[in-house]
Order: sequence, then structure tokens, then C-alpha cells
Amino acid sequence: MKFLAAFRNTLLSLVLLATAPLALGDAYEAKLPDEINTAPELCKYVSCGDVLPGATVFSERKGQPRYVEGYAEENGQRKLIGYVMLSTDITDTPAYSGKPVITLIGMDTGGRFVGVKILKHSEPILLLGIPESALIRFNQQYIGQFVGNNIEIGQSRPEESIIGLDAISGATVTVIAQNQVMMTSGTAVARQVGILKPTIREQAKFVETGTKPDWATLVKDGSVKRLVVKPEQVGLPRGDTLFIDLWFGYLNQPDVGRAILGDAAYRNLMSRLHEGEHALFVIRSGGVESFKGSGFVRGGIYDRVQVRQGGDSFTFRDLDSSNLYGIEAAGAPAFNESAIFIVRSKAFSAAYPWKFVFLGNRVDRATGARSFTNFDTEYWLSAAYLQGGRPKVVKPDAPWVKVWKARAVEIGLFAALLVAVAVVYAFRDALTRRATRKNKWPVNAFKYSAWVVSIGFVGFGLMAQPSITQVLTWFHAMLFHWTWELFLTDPFIFLFWIFIIVTTFVWGRGLFCGWLCPFGSLSELLYKVGAAVGLKRFQFQLPRKWHDRLKWVKYGVFFGLLAVSFFSMGLAEKLAEVEPFKTTFLVGLFNRSWPYTLFAAGLLGLSIFTERPFCKYLCPLGASLAMPSTFRWFGLKRKQECNSCKACAVVCGSQAIDENGRIDHRECLHCLDCMVLYADSHACPPLSQERKRRTKAGLPLTPIGANGYFIPIKPVPARAEALAPKN
Amino acid sequence: MSQDHSKPLDAQPDPSRRKFLNTAAFAGLAGAGLSVGLSACKQEEAAAPAAAPAPAPAAPAAQAVSNGTHLKPGELDTYYGLWSGGHTGDFRVLGLPSGREIHRVPCFVPDALTGWGITNESKKIMGTKPDGSLRYTVGDSHHTHASYKDGNYDGRYAWINDKINSRIARIRLDYLICDKITELPNVQGFHGIFPDKRDPVDPAINYTTRVFCGSEFQIPLPNAGKDIDDPSKYRSMFTCVDAETMDVRWQVLIDGNCDLAASSFDGKLAATNQYNTESGVTYPDMMSAERDACLFFNIARIEQAVKDGKFKTYGDSKVPVVDGTREANKDPKTALIAVVSVPKNPHGVNASPDGKYFICSGKLSPTATVIDLSKVLEWFEGNLESPDKAIVAEVEIGLGPLHTAFDGRGNAYTTLFLDSQVVKWNVEKAIKFQAGDNTAQYVVDRLDVQYQPGHINASQSETMAADGKWLAVGCKFSKDRYLPVGPLHPENEQLVDISGDKMVLIADHPVRPEPHDFIIFKRELLNPKPIYTLEDFPLAVKDPKDSGVFRDGKKVTVKLSSQAPAFSLPEFRLKVGDEVTLILTNLDKVEDLTHGFAIPKYNVNFIVNPQETASVSFKADKPGVFWCYCTHFCHALHLEMRSRMIVEA
Repeated sequence: MKFLAAFRNTLLSLVLLATAPLALGDAYEAKLPDEINTAPELCKYVSCGDVLPGATVFSERKGQPRYVEGYAEENGQRKLIGYVMLSTDITDTPAYSGKPVITLIGMDTGGRFVGVKILKHSEPILLLGIPESALIRFNQQYIGQFVGNNIEIGQSRPEESIIGLDAISGATVTVIAQNQVMMTSGTAVARQVGILKPTIREQAKFVETGTKPDWATLVKDGSVKRLVVKPEQVGLPRGDTLFIDLWFGYLNQPDVGRAILGDAAYRNLMSRLHEGEHALFVIRSGGVESFKGSGFVRGGIYDRVQVRQGGDSFTFRDLDSSNLYGIEAAGAPAFNESAIFIVRSKAFSAAYPWKFVFLGNRVDRATGARSFTNFDTEYWLSAAYLQGGRPKVVKPDAPWVKVWKARAVEIGLFAALLVAVAVVYAFRDALTRRATRKNKWPVNAFKYSAWVVSIGFVGFGLMAQPSITQVLTWFHAMLFHWTWELFLTDPFIFLFWIFIIVTTFVWGRGLFCGWLCPFGSLSELLYKVGAAVGLKRFQFQLPRKWHDRLKWVKYGVFFGLLAVSFFSMGLAEKLAEVEPFKTTFLVGLFNRSWPYTLFAAGLLGLSIFTERPFCKYLCPLGASLAMPSTFRWFGLKRKQECNSCKACAVVCGSQAIDENGRIDHRECLHCLDCMVLYADSHACPPLSQERKRRTKAGLPLTPIGANGYFIPIKPVPARAEALAPKN
Repeated sequence: MSQDHSKPLDAQPDPSRRKFLNTAAFAGLAGAGLSVGLSACKQEEAAAPAAAPAPAPAAPAAQAVSNGTHLKPGELDTYYGLWSGGHTGDFRVLGLPSGREIHRVPCFVPDALTGWGITNESKKIMGTKPDGSLRYTVGDSHHTHASYKDGNYDGRYAWINDKINSRIARIRLDYLICDKITELPNVQGFHGIFPDKRDPVDPAINYTTRVFCGSEFQIPLPNAGKDIDDPSKYRSMFTCVDAETMDVRWQVLIDGNCDLAASSFDGKLAATNQYNTESGVTYPDMMSAERDACLFFNIARIEQAVKDGKFKTYGDSKVPVVDGTREANKDPKTALIAVVSVPKNPHGVNASPDGKYFICSGKLSPTATVIDLSKVLEWFEGNLESPDKAIVAEVEIGLGPLHTAFDGRGNAYTTLFLDSQVVKWNVEKAIKFQAGDNTAQYVVDRLDVQYQPGHINASQSETMAADGKWLAVGCKFSKDRYLPVGPLHPENEQLVDISGDKMVLIADHPVRPEPHDFIIFKRELLNPKPIYTLEDFPLAVKDPKDSGVFRDGKKVTVKLSSQAPAFSLPEFRLKVGDEVTLILTNLDKVEDLTHGFAIPKYNVNFIVNPQETASVSFKADKPGVFWCYCTHFCHALHLEMRSRMIVEA
């Protein structure tokens, strides 16, 4: 009972700790004033001076994307010394949490970063795993770097003029995203203020066939594209009416332009364009939202639509728009809002892909908070409309692709491990048959190897310890917004989960929990080692009665976390510290504050004396996997006598065999001990009895069949004797 | 009409044109023994093929919705309409089919909204007396027509006449503003106006380079006190103005008068109808002849004559005047003019979109006269015995025909002032009927309109791209068609759908009196610019820092700029007696962000559109504080947008 009390105390202290404000998480879900996103005087709401040392006066937000000028005052004279930008004004690149890390960035007039400050982040790993100071240290690496440099996460490669930054181990995705934010923001402003030369893209040369495709053809060949936003994507209740349904296309291409506008209007439009100016049309064929809004009335800028190409974004002033009177192409949908927009920049080229962006105002249904969300559709003129076809475009890999490429070797090894374990387990009958109660090595050699690899390589090496937080994230993703990128950013976890899901439904959760879970493996290995070094006499199992009660706790933990996650993912993630995984593998026992270390160490210490206490009673991940294990395809074998014989139950380390001899597959961790007995004629009582009977009767001992019994001896008719297989 | 015969005779009927053409007066005139074709009226009933009038006007009202003239919020009209303003002296832009008035362009008369006639820039265009005050403040604009290229409108210019002071104004269609006004010499009652459509000689010039102007009233030449009591010496002229420079190129001295004008699509001919070939001074004199005329001008020959020096000048005018009298143009091979006779006091001459015919309306004769232009050219070549042989049809269409529009499908639509109708008739069938085919049913349809229609025009009617979609009818009387507003009634511009066989009356649109003529064309043909270009104004205050009060003795220049919600100077100081020129540039670049500038007690108000510069000059003759303020709503702080003009004693 003592240990139970210890358990309870640990749990209690954890909950207290998780809910108490943590000194470390300064910027975690920090409450920022609403004005920060909109107010012209950005620096009234954030301390711009922190990132632009020396500046005392700041301008209002200006430019597109927006930034602020910082001035120093010398002898009453104002001198421009640099620029301050709010990352979310420029890019909404999401980090690991799916939300952006809101960063205030300072850059001097020479284009060198002079200050970086995290205003708000939602990265759970920085809340509890890695101290926020790690990200601050990471950001310090940018100070003094020129914005035009090629800065990447990883090794410096001077031959490719790439400057490498040290990543934060365990938070790769966060820092890759952060690098993207820093470089995108910096270059966007540097281009505007002339530090970096504006991109000039080679202008498209069009193929003119003189044909006038109809609407369906234009849609098919990609000359007209659609952008649809559903109400739920902007936080409104689901409904039959779309939020907005837009069609757009590029008009300078003569065939496309004539097909859309008609000859006269096309000629007219082109006569009004100068070199390097591009016209595109937009129509709204459905939906409740307007793409024009009314922002352009006051400020003269259309604030709901823009065009992006590479790192450049192009917005439209009122003077860059004109009326689209109608669409000539047969089959065009009816529309109730329309415009022709002009991109006036040589940085834009129709030869290359670009995106039409609709900026929606997303309302968080839970909090009512408003945020801007971009919806875009890529557009690239068909090769048939371009002289020489489409030019080759090297697109920078998405962050998740970069990760997969960078860790290809480990990913290969890890996948091999998963396959190997599955294959070994698939041939478990062959192994258990070779093993006996006294010599379980044919099974254990594989299992122990899996444990060691899992602890060392998977756990400490790859930090690929699956966690209940992923299950929670999935629940939310399935309910609200599924993005593959989010899951692909961690390839090991991604592969691991494929393995877990498949094996859970094929064999039950025990293969993962019993063979590959790094913490589970460590826990049971400690128990085994404990026994081997002479602590066996201190080792114990909970009495059946208590075990059967306590095993339900983990389900409670799981559903508790799930319920909390619907109110606050952040709190759920904090409470998920009931898993000692982060402390054990991701951060290290000695890198965390003492309550965490004590908790993890306590659990591991306890594991020496009782088998897998955490797995049996607390693990919410195990609980979440236990439930689908009910529907596993292949169970472990039982024979009739198992109902009354409880020999296996005695040896079952996971206490998964009840008094009726049934295996609870939700609790079973696939140690295969019972299966070894199952075919061991010296250990399985029914077999032992039969062996003794046959030995006494002088009957031959036939091998054990697939059903777990000696293959029966049957008299064979003489005629067929010659044909009977030799057993 | 028969009952009108019993009415007592008017010994002296009201000679005003409107009342004159009123049915009652018309009958009265007939009774007075002045034959104005009443006999023809009876004939018409017998001979003119009857077509059933359109259903009562109340019925199509339901169709107005289905025809989509009432636009939904945010929907745009499909046609532009350019309207004359009559004696409001302005030029108007309507959207059709909605009939909504979108814009007014001040030209001949001052406009309080824009400061037209207040700003130095507008005064320069309008013309001033030596003391700087406006030369004229009244105008009467009747006809507006736009520049052509390849037989369709090119969106460069429109021109409009001022009948009172014989001025022609040009409207830039890129900014929809008046940029030049020219006063025609040697004429009075400048009425008809029409740009040419291409050059008669140079095929490369396939666009408008000239504007033809007809003058109604005959006057002594020069009109400087000589011959005032000898109407036989009164003369009228046909004038050609250069489309670009707006200088008068030449004039033609003619017999009789001019009324409306037309030009041919090949550029070779211009014409004016003449209702006073008699050169009468009173209307009975003007009606004395049974036939008046349509007078054709051979443009190439006139310009050759000018080039050859065969011209005179009159008075102070330097404009070359060639002799276009009948006496001097008897030989067709050298004639500058051709006179085609048309029944009694014709009104309106309109070119058909196929380029073949000019059609003159009879007015006092119930007929329309179709003149074949190729035959007129034949006469000029000496190959036609008489100009009248160019008349290919002269058919009865109804009482009081005035103006004709076309649908591009061979049909003409003529307003019948006295019948209060529009008659749709087929030109080729009328020609067949004239040729003797009595079975040719040239009248296709008749439609009652409310009431007494004057001008008529159809969408794209005056171009080779006539599309036969909409017909607008300018009814001179609205009577009971609108909520009563006292004795002065609006005009009733009615919209008719002519896309089918039958004309369908779609809508009534009130307009402030009193537009005359108008043109309707597709919206794609016009591309107005949303804001001005700063550099186009030599006086522009390009930077707020350039603002200030600049003094040169008594002459003071105040430079200001505006950017919502402030003027660049919160105050400026003057001294009594200063001769002030105030320059204001609107530096706002946002579309539709116009500012106003009013100076209380100094009778100053004008607007500056985005990137526009305007100036005013005045004498600081009243000491005190004068709050100059923005009169054109611009910003949430519009009321706070002020500047103090402090005039020190």
C-alpha cells in the first residue's frame, strides 16, 4: 500500500505542477494585445527597441508586407537606423504546434539582423521539454547575419555558401519553421527598402494559337482556377453555403485573355498595360463573403486578395483594379462580384507558378479571437501557352521533406527495425516451439534485442517515443483540420504510428507496448536486470484484486486528457506529463526540474521491483491502444484446459490472464511466455500429463501440433500405411 | 382632331416652338389657312400601311423587372449614355438601361459643386472678359456626339453645342471633363453638331479629325450694326472645327439656314437639314415654301478650295469662308454643295449605320425622306441629272416626324411629335414602296410614348455597330408621369426594348430639363481614368513641404495641399488689399477621395480630385478670420479638415 500512496502523491504533485504557472514558459500562449496585428503604431504595443538597439522613435507600419522604421535621435536629428518587423505581418509559417511563433525581428539598414524576440509561441516542447532559453539561444545565432545570406539549419557548407545554424535537438521542426520565418521576413523587408535587389523574373513569352477555348477547356488546362473556402475553414458553423467560391485566371496570355474577355475588351485592356504589368480576373460565383470588402475604400488597398510568387507578394490598390464586364467564354458560371486586377511589377512573371491568395478572417469558435488565415490556389500557365513550355522551377522542399531527406539513413534503419520486429513476431510459433520454460532464449533473444535497440536507438537516439499527445492531436485533426504536413514533420513518429496502428489491429497493442515502446522496454529491462542481479526476492506483483482495480486508472487518465484537450490543448499537453517520456528520452532525467526527474526516476525505480508499473496502471497511450486491441485479428492461442489450469497466469508478467485462464488482450504485452508454455510438454500441465501417460504406456511422443496438443496416434489402415506421412 | 376645327382661331398663335408644335396650336394654324400638310394627314390614314400600336404602356411595366433595367445592388449598367443638358448648359452621363444619372460635366455654365467658373483653370477654358469675370454664364446645349474610329466610338472625345452663344465644347472622355471651348465666329444659333468619321482623302485617317456645326439663325455679316434692318442680307454658315486643336478650320456661306448635322461613314459628305430655305424672319415666312432642303457638303472640295485660297473672311474673324451659295455652285463637277429638296421644314438628318442613307424627317410633313449617298456623290461627279434624284424614298410615317434612330437590322425608328408615337419602319421596304411596290409594308410597328417625343436614339445607333437592343426616347412633356413637383415638370426619357419585332416600353426616367439629344454605346468603349496625374498640372504643389504664403508686393500666392483629413497649412495670413492666388493640390491618391475648398464670404468653393491641382484668384478685401474648410466629404475627420485664412487689416 505504501507504493500506492507514493503513486498518488506523485500524480498529485504532477497535476499541481502542471497547472501552476511555469516560470520557464514566458512566451508560451502569451496574451498579446489585439492591436498588435492591426494598429498602425506597432511599437506602442510591443517593445521595438529591444530588437533594434539604439532606436528611440518608430514610424507607423508601412509597406507591403508591413514593417516599421526605427530612428535614433542624434543632436535633435532623426536618423534611420533600421527596421522592425512582426513575423506574422509577413508570413504565417506554422511551427510544430500548427501555430506561428510570433517573433519581433530587428534589422539594421545594412540588412543585418540585430535583434530577435519571441513574443508568443504555442510549442508544447518549449513549455515543458526544452527550456525556452534554448530557442532564445537559437535565435541569437542570427544576430549579425546578413539577410541575403543562405542560412539553413545544420552544418555550414562553405562550398555551397550555406551558413549552418545549430538546431535544438528535439525541436527540429520548430527551428526549421523559425528559420523560414526569419529569412522570409527579413528578405521581404530588405527587398522593399532596397537592401536586397528586387527579384526580376524573366517575362513569359506566350504561344498564340488564335483559338478561343470555352470555359470548361480553360478550367481543364489550368488557365482558370478555383479557390473555395468553406465556412468551417474560417471558424463558422458548417453549412451548405460556401464562404467564398472564386475563379481566377491570367489575362495577358492572348488565347486565354481573348477567350475570357472577348477580342475588343482584351485589346483594350492590353493597350492600357505597360511592360511588366499583368492582368488577372477574379469572379465570385458563390459564397457569402466579398473578395473586395470595403477596406480599399478608405486605404485604397484591397486587403482580402493578393498574388504571391516565390517570396514576393503583390497587393492591389484601387487604381490597380477595373471592372470586368463579362466573360465571353461559353459555360462560365454566373457571378455576382468581379474585378480585373493589375500586378504592376517585373518581379511577377506568368512563366512561373504563382498563387492567388484570399485572406480570410478566421474566428476561433472557442475563444472568439480573430486571426487572419490565408487560402490560396496555385496557378501555372499550361506549357502549351508558353514558348518553350514551362521553365524548370526548383522549389524549396517543404520543411517535412527536408527532414525526411536529412535523416534518410536513420529512417531506413528505423523502418527496417519495425519490419524486422513484425516479421519475428509473425513467426512467433516457430520461436515459442523452440523455447521452453527453462530456456526462453529463442524468443527472448529477439525480444531483448528489440528492447535494447528501442531504448538506445529509438528512444535516446531518435527520440521517437510515441506519446498520448499525438493521439490527442489526431483526434483534433480528424475533427477539425487534417494536415499531413503536421504528421510528416516527424518521420520516426509517423512511421512508428503506421506500425502501431497496423499491428494493433492485427495482433493487438502488445507488440508495440511489449517489444518496441522505448519506455516500456526500459521499464521491463530494469525489472529483468533487477532479477538477474539478485533483487528477485524484493520483486513483487500486486495482488490480483488490486491489479484488477488499478488497471482501469490508465483509461481514466486517457479519457481525462481527451476531455481536457477539448477545452485546452495546452493544458492537456501539460497534463500529458503523466507520461515520463519527455523527461526520460527527449530532455534527459538530469535536464529537468526536480519534480519531473523525481517522477520519472520514481517510476523507473519502481520498475526494478514490479514489472512495468507505469504501463499497467498509468499509461494513457497504452489505454488508448488497448481499446482497439479488442478488435485485433489474431489472438494468442488457448486450449480447452486453459479454463481450469492456471499455470500460465502465474508466469504472466502483465497479469493479463484471469482466473478463468482467458487472456485479456487489452492488457497482454506479447511477452509470449504463455505461448512458450503452450508448446512446452514439460511446463504445460495438460501436455505434461499426456507426456507422462504416453511415456508410461510406451507410446511414442509425437510432436506438439498447431493446436497445442501432441499429435494424436491413430492406427492407420495397412493399405495406406506406406503412404502415411512419417511423423 | 376634327373637334379642334371648331375652336376659335388664334389670330396670333404663340410662336414658341414647343407650343407651336402642340396639337391644338397645330390645328389652329391649319385653320388659319396656312397649309401645313393637314391634307396629308388624311392621306396618311389611307395610304400609310397601318401597324397596330403597341399595347397600352401600363402593361409592359411588369416586364421592366424581367428585362432587368432595375439593377440589383452592385450591378452595373451595360451601356453609357451621353446626354445634353439643354439650357442647364451641362453635359451628362447616364447608365443604361437603369437610366441612373451618374455624372454631370459642367462646360458652358458655372457649376457650384466643382467650382467650374470659380477656379482659374475652368475660367480659362470658359473664356473671360478683360476684368477676369466670365464672358458667359448661360448656355443651351442640345447635341452631343463622340469621336469615331473605324466607324465606332473610340472613347477620346465628345462635343456639345451651346446654341445661345454659339460655342462648341469638347469633353475629354478619359476624365469626363470639358477641356476646350471654342466660340464660332460669324454665326448665331449654333445648333446641329456632328464629328466626321474618317478623312475624305487620306485612308490612313480612319478616325475623327473634324466636327461640323450648323447654325440656325441668319445674321448680317459681319454682325456689327450694319444691315440690321435688311434681312435679305442675313446669312448663315456651316462651320468645320478641328477635333484636336478646336480651332475653326473653315466655314461655308450658304443660302437658307442650317439645323441638325450629319456626316457620312466614308468621310466624304456632311449634311444639314434646312427648314428656312426661305431665309424668312418670322415663322410664317419660314413655312412659306412647300419644300425645304437637305444641304450636302463635299468636304474634300471645300478643303481644296480653302487650300486654293478661294475664300473670304468676315470682320475680325480670320476663318476662311468659302462660297456655298446655290448661285456659285451650279456646276456639279465643281460644286461644294448639293441641295436635295425635302418637304416643308424638315427636322433631323440621320445617317444609317450601313453607311448608305441619310434620312430627313418631315416635321411639318408626315414623311421621311431617304437620300441615297452614293447618288449624291454621283451628282457631284456630274452623273446624276438632279440632286433630287438621290431621293430613293419619301414615305408617310406619321404626324410630326423629328428624329430617326436605327437598329442595325434595316429598321428606322422615328419620333412622331404630334402623334406622341415612335414609328418603326423598314428602310428597304420604304424604298420598294417608293419604287411602286404598293404591297411593301414598310411600317413595322408603332408605340405610344408619353408624351411628344423629340430626340430618339438607339444603342450604338450612330455607329456601324448598331446593336438594336435599347431605344431611348426623349419625351418633351412628362405631364402626369411623375409625382407632381409644381409647374416645372421633368422631361420623360423613356426606354424601349427594340430587340424583338415589337417595341416594348420598359421604363420612364425623369431628367432635369431639358436634355435634347444623346448617344448610347457599350460600356466597354469607355475607359475613364480613376484619378489625375500630378504632373499634368504645372502649378501642382507636389510636396506638403512646398506649402506656404509667397508674397511679391501685393501679389500673394498661397500654396496648399490636401491629404485627408488635413490641409497642409492649418492657417495662412494675408493683408487686406492683397491680390491672392490660392493653389491647392490634392495629394491623396485613393480613388474617390475628393476634397473641397470653400472660403466663407469670399464666394469661393471648388473641389480637387485625387492628384488634381486647382487655383483661384481673389482680392483680400475683408479683414478677419475665415475658416476655409473641406466641402467634399473625405474622412471621419472631414469636419475637422479646415485651415484658417487670417486677413489682417
